Amino acid sequence: MTEILRVEQVTKTYGKRGEKQYQALKGINFTVNSGEYVAIMGASGSGKTTLLNILSTLDKPTSGHVFINHEDNSTLNANQLADFRSKQIGFIFQDFNLLENLTNRENIALPLSLRGISTKRIDPLIDRIAGRLGIEQILAKYPAEVSGGQKQRVAAARALVHEPAILLADEPTGALDSKSARELLDTMEDLNQNDGITTLMVTHDPFAASFASRILFIKDGKIGKQMLKNELSRQEFYHLLIDHLDTDE
Amino acid sequence: MIWKLSLTGIKSRLKDYLVLFSGLTVASMVFYMFLAIAVNPAFIKNDIHVRTDYLKYIFIFGIVLLVIITLVYLLYADTFLLSMRKHDYGMYMMLGAKSTRIGRLIFGETLITGLLATFLGLILGFGLTWISLKILISKLGLEIPHFQAILPNAIIITIAFFLVIFLVVALANVYKLTHTPVITLLHEDQAPVKFRYRPFLRVIEAAGGVFLLAIGYYVMTLPKEQVFKIIPTALVTIVIGSYLIFAAVFSSLVGLLLKRKSFSYHGIRMFTLGQLKFRLQSYTRVLTMISLLFALALGAITVGLNFDSLNDLATQSVYYDATIVSNSSAVKKAESKLDVISKQTYHYKETKKVLYFDQAELSKQPAKYVSVNYSNNRGVTQYTVKALQVNKISDSNAIDNTIFMRMVPNHGQQKVKLVSSKELSKLSGQKNFVSLLRVKDFRQAYPIIAKMESQQVKEKPAFSALVPQSKAAFYGNSLAYSSSFEFMGFFLGFAFLTMLASTLMFKVLSGAAGDKAKYRMLYQMGTRKQLLRRSIKAEIGVLFLLPALLGVIDVLFGLQLFKDLLENPYRSIWIPFVIFIILYSFYYLLTVKLYEKLVLTKE
Repeated sequence: MTEILRVEQVTKTYGKRGEKQYQALKGINFTVNSGEYVAIMGASGSGKTTLLNILSTLDKPTSGHVFINHEDNSTLNANQLADFRSKQIGFIFQDFNLLENLTNRENIALPLSLRGISTKRIDPLIDRIAGRLGIEQILAKYPAEVSGGQKQRVAAARALVHEPAILLADEPTGALDSKSARELLDTMEDLNQNDGITTLMVTHDPFAASFASRILFIKDGKIGKQMLKNELSRQEFYHLLIDHLDTDE
Repeated sequence: MIWKLSLTGIKSRLKDYLVLFSGLTVASMVFYMFLAIAVNPAFIKNDIHVRTDYLKYIFIFGIVLLVIITLVYLLYADTFLLSMRKHDYGMYMMLGAKSTRIGRLIFGETLITGLLATFLGLILGFGLTWISLKILISKLGLEIPHFQAILPNAIIITIAFFLVIFLVVALANVYKLTHTPVITLLHEDQAPVKFRYRPFLRVIEAAGGVFLLAIGYYVMTLPKEQVFKIIPTALVTIVIGSYLIFAAVFSSLVGLLLKRKSFSYHGIRMFTLGQLKFRLQSYTRVLTMISLLFALALGAITVGLNFDSLNDLATQSVYYDATIVSNSSAVKKAESKLDVISKQTYHYKETKKVLYFDQAELSKQPAKYVSVNYSNNRGVTQYTVKALQVNKISDSNAIDNTIFMRMVPNHGQQKVKLVSSKELSKLSGQKNFVSLLRVKDFRQAYPIIAKMESQQVKEKPAFSALVPQSKAAFYGNSLAYSSSFEFMGFFLGFAFLTMLASTLMFKVLSGAAGDKAKYRMLYQMGTRKQLLRRSIKAEIGVLFLLPALLGVIDVLFGLQLFKDLLENPYRSIWIPFVIFIILYSFYYLLTVKLYEKLVLTKE
């Protein structure tokens, strides 16, 4: 299996030297292989968001390196980082972040047109991913006209349409009702298993995390344990996870 | 405690506050400057040479326009203030502050901000009035001695006006905020945008808009006898037409561009077009108003500048540019500075009853005059140059009399007799001469000719009788009259332009808070900062350009209204256009910079 993401000795310290400093990440190490579905779990203040910002190149680590597709993004300048994000990373946010003034189709087209994909190729690519996510019927509508679950599917289509190396999902079910959340998680699992989409999800919700094949626990800026699903069913994995969280308290 | 919170809240958004504050300062400054003219009776009576009752209407009209635009402007400035503070107020309320305390806080903040800005505006107003006074007098040669920078009447009215406005605005803010649910205060930026999706209605609106504008433009070309029908018709059709054009035509165009994928699926264009579509829908009213005010402002400057052409008109009824009756060295020296193209000299002697002229001189070069014909059916005066008919000189001929009156001081009852030069020499009395000059460029020569006239009055007091009839005198009077109109045109034009441009600026900036998330998302998706900046420039550029474009078209048609009053209303139209482009571009760039600061987060 090829390695997609490697995180090496990443630390992040806030505050200037000489002043009171706060270390949010204290030497994080892990790797994600191609086709893996990894969840990072942690409570508020554990460093989850800081880690995600660094992985997505929006923030720089104080020390350490992050490699995506073997490329060290600490060596890139601002423009190269932007290009890197547009090529290698797909994002799903908690609050969808769709542009209300564009139709769903136009929202999905945006990352492609930003990357300079030729006009003729854009619509077929959108139709393909929309078919995969079951949103063909709502492409001509505006985000305000569709349900929360559908919005998040549109957001997922937007994140995946340019075939990124890795999908980063930040609490993707946070703003959804339980039925829509379940549907989205099923879809993400399906995309991972059948299309081989490498996924890294940050969440505090054990139910969402139980869809992953591996869970990393982050606490006080460090990766503590990790749990592997292996041959367990999702339900069994979920119960194991709950037990683990109970004993960990 | 709550005041301390308020201060820290302001401190954290000091830059935005400064923008708001300077905007309010500009409003009160402009208001004061206009009043410094409008409520200065000495200036109006003595420096503006028009019938005062007529002028009163012009000023009342000006003040009404200024009050309207100031009100609209303050409304947008206030929306900007609220957009900055809403979240903070909501938070204080969530933390348990009583709504009466918050009410007092809002009231105080609005009133203090407003009044501080008013006072600063007044002080700047004194300075700027003084500076513009100096510039106008020296550069344009205007004569406005009664205009003064510090005028108590204007100060009192300005303070009273702004005090009342800010009291009302402060009360309205208190009402608005204390009657809005806390949750809305905290999350209003995230409220979804409502769209209208009825394309059929849009087409009808667009057609209606174009039709109404066409009617409006057409009626302005009608003859001026129908002025009472023209102005109300044009006002209604153009206002509604512009509104419909902004509501339907422009947003439909953007919609079409969005649908043309070969155009929109290109870099960040889709996002920019999406932003524009949304903006054009929610900005319809403000863009309509701005296009109309833009037209008024540009029109005021263009027409004001054009009053200058009256000065040419004033000089057309006199054929000769200068009259010389003295051969002193001072006069000769002045004459040598003129670019003379023709000069004819006549010698004469006078007794109590008879005026003897040298016949040979007059026959060789008959004096010319301008015949004025008012009997044109469209009210256009015709000027024809004619020459004195030397063989048929008659004392009963009014024209002949006028010609000699312009050559000989105090000529009235004497008979004119033409004699040979020999006979003229034999006659007793002093032989006088009069030289009639034409120069290459009268406007340029005017200062020298005017000086020459007063020098001759000094040397020969009788000459003063000729002065009121001279071309220089007509031109001088006209200059005083036109310069007051030029001044008003310039002033109102500038005032309107600064206010309308800052209104648009505030409208754009008050939406910035809600746009922040969009730009952050685009940035996360891997959009380069330059591309985001380019999108912002394009978006705001279109918002500035559209009303300006419509405003310019309004002016081009609107100037038709003045074609009977002014010889050529389109003369030197490039001057106001250039001034506008410079000033307006400055506001555009400022808005772009401020907006970028508000929406683009630092890494």
